[in-house]
Amino acid sequence: MNGARWLARLLVLMAGTAAFVTGIAAQGRGSVAAPSRQALDTTPPGAYYGVTEYQAARQKVEQLIPAEGIAIYIISDMEGLAGVVNNAREMLPGRGNSPDHQRFREEETDEINAVIAGARAGGATAFVVNEGHGGDNFHNVIPERLDPSALLIRGWPKPIVMTTGLSPRMNAMMIIGAHSNAGSNGIIAHSYAFDSFTVNGHPLNETGIAAFIGGEMGVPLILAAGDDALTSETRDMLGPIETVTVKTALGRSAGASLSFPRAHAELREAALRAVDRLRRGDLTPLRFATPYQIRYCIRASFTPEVFALMARLPGIRPDPATGPRCFGMETSSAEAVGNLLNEIEWSALKP
Amino acid sequence: MQRWRRSEKRSTRWRTPIRINQVRFVAILALASAPALAGQGAGRTGAGVVANPFLGKQLPLEPGYRVYIVAAMSGMGTAVDARELSPPVDGAPLSATVNNADYETRFRSLFTQEANAAVHGARLAGAGSIVVSDAHPANNFGSILPWEIDSLATLVRGFPRPLFMISGLDSTFGTVMFIGATASAGTPGVLSHTFGFDALAIDGKVMNEVTVNALIAGEMGVPVSLVAGDDAAIAECRAILGSDFVPVITKYAVGTMAAITLSPARVHQVLATGATLAVQSARDHRLKPFTMEKPYRVEFTLAKTLPDSVSAEVAALTGFGLERTGARSFRFTTADARQIGYLIDAIEPLAVR
Repeated sequence: MNGARWLARLLVLMAGTAAFVTGIAAQGRGSVAAPSRQALDTTPPGAYYGVTEYQAARQKVEQLIPAEGIAIYIISDMEGLAGVVNNAREMLPGRGNSPDHQRFREEETDEINAVIAGARAGGATAFVVNEGHGGDNFHNVIPERLDPSALLIRGWPKPIVMTTGLSPRMNAMMIIGAHSNAGSNGIIAHSYAFDSFTVNGHPLNETGIAAFIGGEMGVPLILAAGDDALTSETRDMLGPIETVTVKTALGRSAGASLSFPRAHAELREAALRAVDRLRRGDLTPLRFATPYQIRYCIRASFTPEVFALMARLPGIRPDPATGPRCFGMETSSAEAVGNLLNEIEWSALKP
Repeated sequence: MQRWRRSEKRSTRWRTPIRINQVRFVAILALASAPALAGQGAGRTGAGVVANPFLGKQLPLEPGYRVYIVAAMSGMGTAVDARELSPPVDGAPLSATVNNADYETRFRSLFTQEANAAVHGARLAGAGSIVVSDAHPANNFGSILPWEIDSLATLVRGFPRPLFMISGLDSTFGTVMFIGATASAGTPGVLSHTFGFDALAIDGKVMNEVTVNALIAGEMGVPVSLVAGDDAAIAECRAILGSDFVPVITKYAVGTMAAITLSPARVHQVLATGATLAVQSARDHRLKPFTMEKPYRVEFTLAKTLPDSVSAEVAALTGFGLERTGARSFRFTTADARQIGYLIDAIEPLAVR
């Protein structure tokens, strides 16, 4: 333990030096998305179980990618991959004696590679992949199969679950393998621990929440891939971004899927179009008026523990008018929502 | 040799291991807040009943001649035993005398190759849009390997889904094929069965899983162009559907769990050739959609291996106008063949618990 702590301190020192050097270099860049104001980091100090503070994680990512050129931040999930229909047998290792989870890990990696290839053809030069699938504690993307030019953020706990290390340096976000919102008619539909989540009255799914956190930094979400329920609801939430429908939901655990090669081809083409549209200024960040009025309801099946954990965060108040498990929060920082997600993931996945 | 299974005090008929596996996904579906989906296939909108939101959902319309392939494992080449057609139950010891691993290591791949052979044959005859439906219950209707299926094909998998063997079939399809078909429950065919029934008859004719779905497809104007299965299944289908479809015999029954089999390579070759002929005859309009006289008088008897509680739950199903005619027997009349499919959709989850 001590050794690990010393190593971490050493790394922080090294990172700090690099930040200074690249910070100077970054002054001169003239890339697509203008950096927004420095976002407020509201992670309570020391509150999150030894996880690197969000801003520190962001700085580390920024130091590892070139200061110039189009950088794409890719979130990967698994429920919306081509072929996937079953949560119990396909989304976790070792359950149901089924080897399928292993093969879908490869597919997750291949779908990421497909959008990287397309984005590269469109002019993108740097890629950060953030594993967003909680099954197996965010260890699903296969590192040696991933495009070697990409950084891969894996493991858990990590700050702000699906947007770890996202920064204004990124020009755009993409998400593959995404699933539709809790309560919707999609394959393995859910959203964190929520039955519903709205910002200023606008419902957001997991993809939408990532777009909200990124949007505040000036980073638009430009591509989403999943089943038809996900792609149609995400266009409703985010506007006419690029979407790839890899399968049609025929039930919450049933669907009609494109073959993997066809899904990859469509992902490549869509990613190319998305970067092309980004460069033309056609795709803009998702922004809401501040202060944000956040409303959410927690799933009935969720443990009471999550309520206790959330009580530690400032500004959250019960919203019994909406429902018994509903809460409200007023904040001017989307990252405060990220901290809420940290608490929820912790209560769900804590070893 | 099947001690672990018998200790479960469940059905001893061939589908037992599959059904035990399904207990888990039924529970998961309940968690996934889908209680309305399992039993409400008919989309009834009476008080307190939520219509199935997936009912009537269309698959993306693709250009080219459309072929729908229904694939099951029981009637595929070489397979003779339920252990080859479902994964071992969680926690059950592997049998010392039979190979429980063959489902994962061999038969899922062979099954996928059979589907691919049919897809390949259909493509040679000019089919441009091909859907393969995984209609085998094992692994939650997920036996075909998505990573091995022909890249042109759209793969339907998972459960529950409306009209589960033919989900997404509609009048835009030129023809439907059934591969891996079996003879009806209680007959001397390999792994013979009919959903969760001991008997199912329409207008007095004993139906099997192919002919029921052929009737629903027929109402959509879609003819059956090929049936592949053991010789018993083929004979049964010809007796009901007529002899216009291309018959592909994958194995010859010498018992319900024994057969004279051919090399998988030969089966795949014949399937591909048969599929080509089938699409050619469908495109030349040499096939007629299968029809029966309306209204359909449907009679069925639930499998005696199912617990009595299932009979009570079937009796409680509303919206179909079921009339109970015996301890496990029911009948109803409908002029819409899809209602028969929705009833099967409603009974299947009751039967798998």
